[in-house]
Amino acid sequence: MSRPLRRLFLVFVLLFVALVVQLTYVQVWAAPKLKVNPANTRALEEEMKVERGVIVSADGEELAVNRKEGQYYFREYPLGSLTSPWLGYNSLRYGRAGVERVYNEELSGQSGILGITNYWDQIVGNPHRGADLKLTVNMTLQRVAAEALGDRKGAVVALDPKTGAVLAMVSYPRYDPNDIDEQWEEINSDPGRPLINRATQGLYPPGSVFKIVVAGAALQTGTVTPETEFEDTGEYVAGGYVVTNYADKVYGIHDFTKAFASSINTTFAKVGVEMGADTLADYASAFGFNRESPWPLGASRSFFPDPADMDEAHVAQASFGQGEVLSTPLEIALAAAAVANGGEIMEPYLVSQVLDYHKNMLQETRPRVWLRPLNSETAAMMRDLMIEVVNNGTGTSAAIDGVQVAGKTGTAEVADAGPHSWFAAFAPADDPQVVVAVLVENAGTGSSVAAPIARQVISAALGL
Amino acid sequence: MSTRNRELVFLVPALVLTTLGFALVYTQKSSVLTLSSLTYGALFLALFAIAHIGRRVLAPYADPYLLPITALLSTLGILFLYRLNEKLALQQAMWLVVGLAAFLLVLVFVRDLKVLRDYRFLIGIAGLLLLLLTAVFGREINGARLWVAFGPIRFQPAEFGKILLMVFFAAYLVDFREALTVSTRRVLGVPLPPFRYLAPLLTIWVLSMMLMIFMKDLGTSLLFFGALLALLYVATGRAFYVVGGMALFIAGAALLYFIFPHVQTRIDIWLDPWKDPTGKGYQIVQSLFALAAGGLFGRGLGQGYLLLQSGDTIIPALETDFIFSAIGEELGLVGAVGVILLYLIFTYRGFRIAVRARDDFSRLLATGLTSIFALQAFLIMGGVIKLIPLTGITLPFVSYGGSSIVSNFVLLALLLRTSDSVARQEAAEHRLGPRPAPGVGGPRPAVGTGA
Repeated sequence: MSRPLRRLFLVFVLLFVALVVQLTYVQVWAAPKLKVNPANTRALEEEMKVERGVIVSADGEELAVNRKEGQYYFREYPLGSLTSPWLGYNSLRYGRAGVERVYNEELSGQSGILGITNYWDQIVGNPHRGADLKLTVNMTLQRVAAEALGDRKGAVVALDPKTGAVLAMVSYPRYDPNDIDEQWEEINSDPGRPLINRATQGLYPPGSVFKIVVAGAALQTGTVTPETEFEDTGEYVAGGYVVTNYADKVYGIHDFTKAFASSINTTFAKVGVEMGADTLADYASAFGFNRESPWPLGASRSFFPDPADMDEAHVAQASFGQGEVLSTPLEIALAAAAVANGGEIMEPYLVSQVLDYHKNMLQETRPRVWLRPLNSETAAMMRDLMIEVVNNGTGTSAAIDGVQVAGKTGTAEVADAGPHSWFAAFAPADDPQVVVAVLVENAGTGSSVAAPIARQVISAALGL
Repeated sequence: MSTRNRELVFLVPALVLTTLGFALVYTQKSSVLTLSSLTYGALFLALFAIAHIGRRVLAPYADPYLLPITALLSTLGILFLYRLNEKLALQQAMWLVVGLAAFLLVLVFVRDLKVLRDYRFLIGIAGLLLLLLTAVFGREINGARLWVAFGPIRFQPAEFGKILLMVFFAAYLVDFREALTVSTRRVLGVPLPPFRYLAPLLTIWVLSMMLMIFMKDLGTSLLFFGALLALLYVATGRAFYVVGGMALFIAGAALLYFIFPHVQTRIDIWLDPWKDPTGKGYQIVQSLFALAAGGLFGRGLGQGYLLLQSGDTIIPALETDFIFSAIGEELGLVGAVGVILLYLIFTYRGFRIAVRARDDFSRLLATGLTSIFALQAFLIMGGVIKLIPLTGITLPFVSYGGSSIVSNFVLLALLLRTSDSVARQEAAEHRLGPRPAPGVGGPRPAVGTGA
């Protein structure tokens, strides 16, 4: 009778071993796959228990905060849609965007920089909490920019040319990040594409604001000087393509300064063709076209065509920002910033400080040079050209009493719709504190629509 | 160290686990430590001290490991219940008191295994009645008819019925053992006993099928069948019963699969819970997620994701059938394997009693009780980790449930009584002379009834 007993016990041992094997399979071997199974909402739940860091603006306004319900935290955005283009959202169902996405590690406290604080808090039993972020955006300026743009589709970017710190960034249409869970379908299918940040992700033909790049190239290569004389007959034929001026104006004899101030297409086409596709492409690239943007939240790559594919007609069109050239409003702001900052473009950034919740600074963004498209002499010449635009050219509507504004208008032709209205500017011209780029879709000329918006933003930025 | 003091020493881990565990869970809950954790610790100390003293007085030669293992398991159970639902923990603590009272009562009234043999038919009928009670008056909860209500008190008669029937079958098989091992004809070279000797096998099969058909209780049915088959095998030493039993089981299972959508669903969910992870497969899928979240070392007591905001458990029946998932998540593979080991040690000690037994009844009783206990632990743990289809039964001593706790304490008492009786016999033999070599025939007292 003992043998059956031993066998029976052996059977039970085998059954229990089978338990251990299966348990090991589930808890160790299959666990990584089970954890990311789409039916597994545990990870999300885990995140909801973490108190995310608070995001505040440069002037101390709270932009993203938490509401606690039970043991869970819910993200709230007190300023609603005003901040959504760059702040983004944090949704358990739809993921994250903007600062909430890119700085998730810091905000949720997974980042290494919080390490010691976290260990300490675990030891003393403090709740787990993410790091706070301080942004460069000034909400006063952000509000002025948003109001100035109003409910017109477009974007406004304001940044400090000396550091690259973004002071305001507006895109319209926007969405309210507080509604993302409830109204996702609506927001996502909205034909106005509110989820797109037009300032960094929108690609538009730049039109005449691109002349900042072309003029910079022409001056630095010595192709022209500000005083070089040209004659305009209202038409310039390049490779069979007839270049005309906006509103078919004829300017006669003029110098390069005048060509820039009045945005004479025929002269720029001539200068562009003289420099050639390669030089134009080199300078476009030097200004940031065809490059990965250092913008931390990710930006579309502004586009300048491959010179090998460009015939003379293409070169002529590209010389005044038409043809295949495409740019984000941010890139135009950076091009203007190059002029404002003595030829150097600083990397644009949005987060100035990462702080633990005891308000100890963990990380601070240091301004860094991104590109150096112009030397300081060329930059100075360009500044004078841009001053002339505001004083006597197409940009007079951006002029501000008591402050010298420098700028450039753009009126970019698009097929089957009104032209995009552009304006890029900085002020004060002799010691630039702010660069502003404005784009309004299909709104008319740069001087009539975009320039006045830029003027309001500059005034506010300078505290006027 | 003497056997008795060994038990006392092994009770210490259970006490430490309770006090530390409750302290930990409590700080998780309210970040303030109160006397509550200590209260539970003190309660446990008192209860198991009483159980230990009772055992020492009433069954002094009994196995010293079974009670500490029980203490550890019930401690773990109440700890997890406290972490999940304080009210249930309190009720469980109350049931623990009742269970320990039942434990002592059994030791007091069953001083001699002879009592059980003498009243075997009464016990068998009582066991059957308890099952019938469920079949007739039972209330269906969660698709299975398990509960019988007497006013405010609800209990699961099958939990007790299975123990009584096990006692009955152990006694019955002692009577018929000889007859069952006689084979008179061979069919295709297989020795087959005459048909009437097939009766026990068919009886337990029919009983199990009835359980399934009338109570829709897959778990208890499987438990009965498996444990009785084990008993039959040990009683006769004939593999025929195992093979035949398996054949009947497969036939029965196939039959039930096609007749009962209830069973069909269980099997289908087991085969592929991912087909409907938010519906039918929800429970097992969430259990797997919980185990995966636990990983090797677990997320720590009180740190698992077990409760919804509403206080409901994420996994339905987490406090009862699925408590092993909670353990797996919070204590990890290490903790869960520890629990499996506890059951394995319990099983080993149980079979050790059977091996050492000098008489058939003690041996079969120890085998039956141990088998039913081990099989129940295996079935539910295997179910929640998707090793086998899920059967809704409790994890002995750990799951929430009055009937389960009390009946398992009765089982423990009977096992300890058997152990004590076996040890006394051994001692008596030592005094009389050298004992016969175990396992090889030899003269044996026909029916042992203790010292």
